[in-house]
Amino acid sequence: MIPVALLSVFIYYPAIRTFLVSFTSLDLRAPLNNHIVLLGNYGRLLTRPEFWQVTGRTLLIVAMVLVVETLLGFLIALLLNQKFPGRGVLRALVILPWMLPPVVNGFLWNWVLNGEYGALDGLLYQLGLIDSYHFWLQNPGAQLRWAALVQTWTRFAFPTIIMLAGLQSIPRELYQVADVDGAGPIARLRRITVPMLMPSIAVALTVEFISSFQIFDVVWTLTSGGNAGNVINPFTKTLMVYNYQVVFRDLKLGLGSALAYLILLMSLGAGYFFVRSLYARAVER
Amino acid sequence: MRRRAVREALRLTALYAASLVVLVWALLPVFWIVVSSISNRIELLSRPFKHWIPHEPTLQNFVDVLTKGQQFRAGGSLPTATLLISGLRNTLIVALGTSLITSVLSTLAGYAFARLRFRLSGLWFWFIMLMMPLPIWTTLVSLYYLIASLGLLDTNISLVIIFAALSAPLAIWLMSTYIREIPRELEEASLIDGANRRQMILSILTPLALPGITSVFLVTFLNTWNAFLLPLIFTNTDRSQSITVVLSLFVGQYEVAWEQMAAATVLVIIPPILLALVFQRFLVRGLTTGAVKG
Repeated sequence: MIPVALLSVFIYYPAIRTFLVSFTSLDLRAPLNNHIVLLGNYGRLLTRPEFWQVTGRTLLIVAMVLVVETLLGFLIALLLNQKFPGRGVLRALVILPWMLPPVVNGFLWNWVLNGEYGALDGLLYQLGLIDSYHFWLQNPGAQLRWAALVQTWTRFAFPTIIMLAGLQSIPRELYQVADVDGAGPIARLRRITVPMLMPSIAVALTVEFISSFQIFDVVWTLTSGGNAGNVINPFTKTLMVYNYQVVFRDLKLGLGSALAYLILLMSLGAGYFFVRSLYARAVER
Repeated sequence: MRRRAVREALRLTALYAASLVVLVWALLPVFWIVVSSISNRIELLSRPFKHWIPHEPTLQNFVDVLTKGQQFRAGGSLPTATLLISGLRNTLIVALGTSLITSVLSTLAGYAFARLRFRLSGLWFWFIMLMMPLPIWTTLVSLYYLIASLGLLDTNISLVIIFAALSAPLAIWLMSTYIREIPRELEEASLIDGANRRQMILSILTPLALPGITSVFLVTFLNTWNAFLLPLIFTNTDRSQSITVVLSLFVGQYEVAWEQMAAATVLVIIPPILLALVFQRFLVRGLTTGAVKG
């Protein structure tokens, strides 16, 4: 069984070793001073203001992404669920952003949002909506919002496809019954479509939570400063970027390993929460 | 009758208006990068009025970026003129290698899990699947030192091995569910006719499972092509730097030659776009398995 061997050597063995390293004070800048600190690294992280700051920032991005993505995905799925000529073409084109490398999406938007020559400035100016060019990525709050927007742009096709599949599996009879009962379009949406779609929404939320919680590529090229020699932008430092910094810049392996497992723990916790509270309840009904 | 036609026309108008909004949102940034890549610098940097359609479209940016490397505005350039070409080469090797290995392995393993009863098969299956929710990050720290101690840092081979290991669980799951849906009788008939198992897999099973295999191949290819974090960590020279990493090097700290940057970006996104347009069905099925059946 080659896959088992492959996984054992290249995934499980390193994962377990990382777990063990997370209990030591291994620091490549002082490799001889390595001893076992048990939960010391976890304690140090949890008492660090920076850790909570980074976590809060990441959760803020996640919250923005989840809300916008779900709404957008729902609306586009409703549109694609209608029958009209050209629907296939629309569906093929809508999933394009999802197929592109996330790193490239950071660049694309960086260029669109460029304050000197950007397309967004040009477009708004030519439509008469602004009277001078803006630097969109100038202040920290805006950087976070744009990072969330670009992440949304990258990923919205996934919830769309999942919800479209969900819409198509709703039995038509339900709507016919509702018609007979004289329910209007809004009542039908509230009473049938949304409840029936809950399992799909739960799946989409879970996957998208994990994906945006571990946001790295988009932030890296949109606002982090780009290439490997540069300083990491502190205002958009998300958990993954933080982890990269601790391990590969500061070379603090013990601490970085503990951080990796904290991120895993938080992802699993959130995944469990979504599955329990949304999926299970929706399926029971 | 006429009233109905009017209503239908109104409905279509509304739908097309909505479609237009969606298309603008999904495609405008892509459109702009393509326009940028075929504009000359003067038109591209014109402001406040932008040239949405270049008056003098040119392919010069592509030629420059492939032969001279990235030029900064002041005239300096990156040390390696062929960095982009080597990036494309590396990514192509890694993506094709990974997809091939993954397709073969997952077909065989998928067959084993779907059809054969062997000792502890359930346990093995869970052992493989358990790793799916495991974020790659928890393995990275030690994986880096493992690869370093094997002397495989900055090689394409190490990336192929890692990506193959990472794509294995999803691919095996996809293939085992796919093969389970193929009727067993054909395989049994050919075994009764005296074919051995290897002949049967090659001549009966593979053609039947081809749509599934195509999905696995394409999804693996796309994921490997688009990957950034792993190549960023495991490579450091043009021997193995992937195209996404090369692209990130193209952004200078203070100045960027945007029209060339755009040309390089277009080169990177052409393969995913072609794949998405031609093989949409296969890709979507591959990318959403697990999510729907999970």
